[in-house]
Amino acid sequence: MSDEKLLVVTDLKTTFDTANGPLPAVGGVSFDLERNETLGIVGESGSGKTVLSRTIMGLQPRTKVSVTGSSVIDGFEVVGASENDKRKIWGTEVAMIFQDPMTSLNPVMRIGKQIDEALRVRLGMDKAAAKARAIELLELVGIPSPQERYNAYPGMLSGGMRQRVVIAIALACSPKLLMADEPTTGLDVTIQAQILNLLDELKDRLKMSVILVTHDLGVVATRTSRIIVMYAGRIVETGNTRDVFYHHRMPYTKALLESSPKVSNHSHTRLVTIPGRPPNLLSLPDGCAFAPRCSYATDQCHLVRPELEPSTEPGHTFACWNPLPINVEGALA
Amino acid sequence: MSDVRQPLLKVRDLEVTFHAHGHAVSAVAGVSFDIFEGETLGLVGESGCGKSTTGKALMRIVEPSSGTIELDGTNVATLSGKVLRAARTKMQMIFQDPISSLNPRRRVKDIVAEPLDCWNKVQGDERATIVHDLLSKVGIDPVVYGDRYARQFSGGQCQRISIARSLAMRPKLLICDEMVSALDVSVQAQILNLLEDLKAEYGLTLLFIAHDLAVVKNVSDRVAVMYLGKICEIGPADTLYESPAHPYTEFLLGAALEADPDSPMHSQTLEGEPPSPMNPPSGCRFRTRCPKATQKCADEEPLPQEVAPNHLVSCHYPLTITHKTPTPTAVDG
Repeated sequence: MSDEKLLVVTDLKTTFDTANGPLPAVGGVSFDLERNETLGIVGESGSGKTVLSRTIMGLQPRTKVSVTGSSVIDGFEVVGASENDKRKIWGTEVAMIFQDPMTSLNPVMRIGKQIDEALRVRLGMDKAAAKARAIELLELVGIPSPQERYNAYPGMLSGGMRQRVVIAIALACSPKLLMADEPTTGLDVTIQAQILNLLDELKDRLKMSVILVTHDLGVVATRTSRIIVMYAGRIVETGNTRDVFYHHRMPYTKALLESSPKVSNHSHTRLVTIPGRPPNLLSLPDGCAFAPRCSYATDQCHLVRPELEPSTEPGHTFACWNPLPINVEGALA
Repeated sequence: MSDVRQPLLKVRDLEVTFHAHGHAVSAVAGVSFDIFEGETLGLVGESGCGKSTTGKALMRIVEPSSGTIELDGTNVATLSGKVLRAARTKMQMIFQDPISSLNPRRRVKDIVAEPLDCWNKVQGDERATIVHDLLSKVGIDPVVYGDRYARQFSGGQCQRISIARSLAMRPKLLICDEMVSALDVSVQAQILNLLEDLKAEYGLTLLFIAHDLAVVKNVSDRVAVMYLGKICEIGPADTLYESPAHPYTEFLLGAALEADPDSPMHSQTLEGEPPSPMNPPSGCRFRTRCPKATQKCADEEPLPQEVAPNHLVSCHYPLTITHKTPTPTAVDG
C-alpha cells in the first residue's frame, strides 16, 4: 500500500444548468482523505453534501451539469474521465451506500442476484463462485441464515436488513473508499446503532476509508476522526472531530451544534435557533453566504467572501471574518 | 407525591386491531395513560410500536377495537355522528409530513380558515381577523403570504401553517405526530420553540409522538415508552432518562446518538429486530430480546408497578432507580 493519500479533492465545483440560471451546488471544495480514515461531511439540506459526495466519485447527470477542479481517487482523476474509465473504479476503488434502503434495491430481483451482479460483471466470477462469495458477504454484514436470505426479495426484509444488503453490494468488489450518504436516516435508533457499529467494524477489518455524509451531528460525533461542515456548497469549517465540536471558530458550526436537542438537556430546555433560512443558491451573496443569518456579521462579511484559514490546532481551518475566540467550549454550553 | 388534579385525557385499555390477509394485527394492545391539563406527554418508540396508531385512535381516525378515551369527561371512543364531530373540535392533530398535509392548490388563508368554515362559525371580517392573528402567531406574515398557495412554501413554513390550522378551533389537546422529524435541525429548533410558546399562550395540553429521544425529552414533562403495542415505561422526563427502569428503555437510550464526541459509547447494543405484531411473544413482549428474561417473563405478563413517584414500569425485573438529581415535580404549570 502506498503512502499517498487515498483521495485528493482540489477546488471541486459542480454547477447545474437550470432554467433559472446556473446553480452552484458545490462551489469550490478542497480536502483530502487518508487511508483507513473516517471523515464526516455534515450540513443541512441543500448544503451540497450529497452532490459533493457524488461528484467525488463521478456520479452526475451527463447533461446540464459542469464539473471543474479535480478529484483524485488512489491516483485516478475522476473529473473529465469517460464513463467507461469511471466504471473501472466504481466498485473496486470507490463504492456508495445510498440513503434510502427501501428504493436503492430492485424490488423484483432476489437480493442474492443483486450482489452476484457486481461480482460477475466487475470481477468476472462464474455463477457458482459469485454465489459463494455473495453468501459470504451476506454473512459479513450480519444477515442471519444467509443461505436462505440469498433467495429473498427485498420486500421480505426489514429496513435495517435491506441496508445491510446495500452495504454487502457496496463491499462486493472490496473498495478502498466507501461513501455512505445518510446511511441510517429513516432507520430506528437501535437499528441505526447496529448499522454504524457494522460500518466501523468493516472499515477496520477491510482497511477501508469511509466518508459519512449526514445531517445528524450525533452520527459523526463519535464515529469520525475528522469533520467537514458545509454551508451553501462550500466548506465553512473543517478539522479533527473534537476541535470542530469543542473549539469551533465559525458561528454557523456553533449555531448548528446549539440548535440540536440533546438527550442530556433537561426537559423544556429552550433551543438556540438560527434565524432565517439557508440561502438560495441561484442568487448567492457576494460575501459570506451565512452573513444574513449571522449575529456576528459586519459590513465586510456582506461584501467579501472569507476563505478558509488555519486555526491553532493542526488541520483545523475555518472561513470567517469574525471568528469566535479560541477555546470556546461552545458545544455543550 | 400523587397527582390530585384531574386529567384532561384519560385513556384506559385502548386496543386497536387491524385485519390483514386473514390475520389480526394488534397494533395497540391495551394502552392506559393520563394527560393532565397543561402537560406535555411524550410518546416514544421505534417504528411499528403503535405510537402513531395510538395518536390516530385518540382522534378516531382509526377505530379503536376496545377501551375508553375520556376527554374532558366524555368518552370519545363510543361517540358517533354529530356528537363525535363536536367532541373532535377539542383535539387537533399535526402530522409528520408538513408538505403533503396541506393542499398544494389552496391559499394559505383558506387552509387556516377551513376548520372555522366547516363549523360555519365566523364569516367576513371576523374570519379574516382570526386567520390574520393565527398566521402572525406562527410567524407567517399574513399580508405577504396569506394569498399564496401551500406549494410555494418550504417544509418548515408548511409546518407553521399546519400549526396555525390546528389552533383555529381553539383545541384543548394537540396531538403532534412526528411533527419535526422531516425538518432540518435549525428549522426543527424554530418549530419546537414556537410550539412551547404557543402551548403557554393557548394553555394547550400536548401528546408529542416522536422517535427522536432528544426531541421528546426537550418538550415533554412526562414520557411514555412503547414497545410492540404496549407501554413498557412511563414517568417524569428527567428521571426516566436519567434512570430508566425498563431494560428496553435503557437500550433505547443507549442507542441514541448524542452530538458530543465525549459522550459515552454504549458497547451494548440491542440485537435483532422487534417481532411481528401478528404473532407477539407471550408474557412480556420484550422478552425475546431481553438479556434478563426468565421463564416467568414468558408465562406472566408484567403489570405496571410504581418504582418511583409517578414512574410506572411493566417489568418483572426492573432496573434499580438511582436519583442523582432531586426529582422535579412531574407536572408544572
